[in-house]
Amino acid sequence: MFQPEPAAYIQVSTGYAIPHSVSDYTFEETPLRLNDGRGSGALGTGPSGANALLYAPMLSAPAGNRVQVGPAPSSPGSFNFNPTSLSAAPSTVPAPSHQPAPLPILLKMESSADELVAQEAAAREYQPQLEGPLVGKKTPSTAITEEYAKADPIYVQKTMMLPQTYTHYRQIQGDGNCGWRAIGFGYFETLIKTGSKARVDAEKERMQALNAYIETAGGVPAYVFQDFADETSSLLEKMSEMIGNPERAAEELLEAFNTPDVSNSIMYHFRLMASAYLKGHRATYGDFISTGTGVDGYCQAVLERHGVEIDHLGLELLVNVLLKPIDFVLEVAYLDRSPGSEVNIYRFPKEANSQLASDLGPTIHLLYRPDHYDILYPPEPVSLQVHRVTSLSQSYEIASTPAALHSYAQLNLQPLAFIPGFDASPAGLAPILDTTSASPLTTYSPSPVSPWVSAPFPDPALQATSASMAIPPPAPPLQPQTHPLRFSEYCQLPEYVENNTRREPTFQTATFKNSHFNVAHYNNPNFQPEEYKPEADDHDSPPRGGGRKRGSV
Amino acid sequence: MASQKRIAKELAECTSSPPQGMTIKLPNDSDIHKWHVTLEGPEGTVYAGGKFGIIVSLPTDYPFKAPSITFSTRIYHPNVTNDSLGNICLGLLKPENWKPSSRLSSVLEAVRALLVEPQPDDPLEARIADEYRQDRKEFDKNARSYVQRYAKGPVKFESGGGESGGGSTSNTGGGGN
Repeated sequence: MFQPEPAAYIQVSTGYAIPHSVSDYTFEETPLRLNDGRGSGALGTGPSGANALLYAPMLSAPAGNRVQVGPAPSSPGSFNFNPTSLSAAPSTVPAPSHQPAPLPILLKMESSADELVAQEAAAREYQPQLEGPLVGKKTPSTAITEEYAKADPIYVQKTMMLPQTYTHYRQIQGDGNCGWRAIGFGYFETLIKTGSKARVDAEKERMQALNAYIETAGGVPAYVFQDFADETSSLLEKMSEMIGNPERAAEELLEAFNTPDVSNSIMYHFRLMASAYLKGHRATYGDFISTGTGVDGYCQAVLERHGVEIDHLGLELLVNVLLKPIDFVLEVAYLDRSPGSEVNIYRFPKEANSQLASDLGPTIHLLYRPDHYDILYPPEPVSLQVHRVTSLSQSYEIASTPAALHSYAQLNLQPLAFIPGFDASPAGLAPILDTTSASPLTTYSPSPVSPWVSAPFPDPALQATSASMAIPPPAPPLQPQTHPLRFSEYCQLPEYVENNTRREPTFQTATFKNSHFNVAHYNNPNFQPEEYKPEADDHDSPPRGGGRKRGSV
Repeated sequence: MASQKRIAKELAECTSSPPQGMTIKLPNDSDIHKWHVTLEGPEGTVYAGGKFGIIVSLPTDYPFKAPSITFSTRIYHPNVTNDSLGNICLGLLKPENWKPSSRLSSVLEAVRALLVEPQPDDPLEARIADEYRQDRKEFDKNARSYVQRYAKGPVKFESGGGESGGGSTSNTGGGGN
């Protein structure tokens, strides 16, 4: 039924594509269908009746179509209507879905009033299925990179860089409150990290003052928000008690934020704070309200409604009322399709943008993707770098004296403890000393290499393909599992290689350098793993990831 | 449950100084999520002299979800379904308008205001709304006859109340004419 013929697309400003001519499809009835498509031809001039459809972005593409600017072009064969992804901005991303879903944009209507009413009703009542906890667990941010691996190149590049700046992230449920919830969670988490009981107790005091402010400036009767405020103070109370035990406090916090009553109440308390702050600073912020409803209308329609996402003004207000007085900084990394290789970073309050990161107070990091916020975590500044440096120098020491292994018994073994998996006690060395071979380095046998690299790769395409297939597990053949001393893959330092030319000739050959067993490219900051692209063969230009080869030598 | 305190306070406020023409009772003292409100038809309207039962149900995630409010007494009104369900169309309660900081007393006041001034432009009963706009006399007559039929005597709160009232329709209806 489906013929992969190239379809012309109109790029609409929203980023949705409308196929100009799509032939011979039958569709399931969907509320999102614009008209019933058989011959009405509102938009199309196609051969067999045109269908005006809204395309969910991010499907797959007919190979011929490279014109489209927007999302990964889609294959008309596999429609996968997903109203949530339609609702978002021009995002092409598997971005977390959102509630409430705005009405789908209706491009052209020739349907009867009844259909429209039914459509509207369907759209209004549509509730996306929300999965996962309100606040997720801390996970390595490489997951984000994987999620975007097939997306637009800008996303690919930005998400590749992301884990270098932020090692972990925490997913927040996309229920329309994620920005508020993320900041709320970040606020408590950062308080825990300060480790200061006095500070948490001061926050409890400050909440009292803020509650009075909500009443006076915000005009909300105390009893209306008392329950919300109570949740905030009782969580602060708990944090204050557990301040000596950060792990437990963090668990408690996560549990509290995943209890809908508690989580929503605290979040709403913060909403009211922001709203009161706006009402108290009408002159300052009044002109920034974009909804055209004035301060009170905006408070009613945006700030004080559960499930309505925080916008820039909301961020500004919440930071000013909640975070700025205690010198907390909010840093938002914007992951969008703007040009550049890294996410754009903006700090609240804006003065913080001109300061060095090291001069800033405790910082809450958020990741913004169109219509959604998650929490990011920069690397913990502790052990990681120290380990890498020491293990490098130590293994170099070993490598430079390969013949004199037996003299290890006299060495100070203390520094060796830095090598992962190495036991500092001399007993740990026993297996080495027992070996009959002169050096454990001989276990770097080139034998597993030879079948792979016996012949140079004849053509670049084949080379690219085989190299990319081999990327994920580069190490196993190099590391004998039986040995307690695991040598770093950086062992092939220049001097060593020079000194051992006769013993390990293959290490120097062009074949080795170009093979996937050469892991030196991991040291190159510009290194990017190559993507496997099945359609690369039909393609004139070389695959984008070809940079790997350049970076590998 | 976090909402208990809030509800208790709202209940206290509504019972101590109830909105005009309303009395509020709990059908079951242990369940503060269900309120029975008796509303006297506002003077000067076609509903004057009638007593209407209103059931307020607060969802478990109140105040993050809007309460649901229904008439248990049948009423001839453009914004209330003309059946035993008595669903009511009130802008304040629509999910897209509901705010957790809305108060129940103001919601109840809005219900009463709806009787004083129906909103035929946002109807649940299109026919009644048309009648209200185009043939006010007929509307008034029908509304009054509904009051006579259903809104006299003790107020019923059972959801089937409209049905049992319907059983006696012919009698009272005949008397009205």
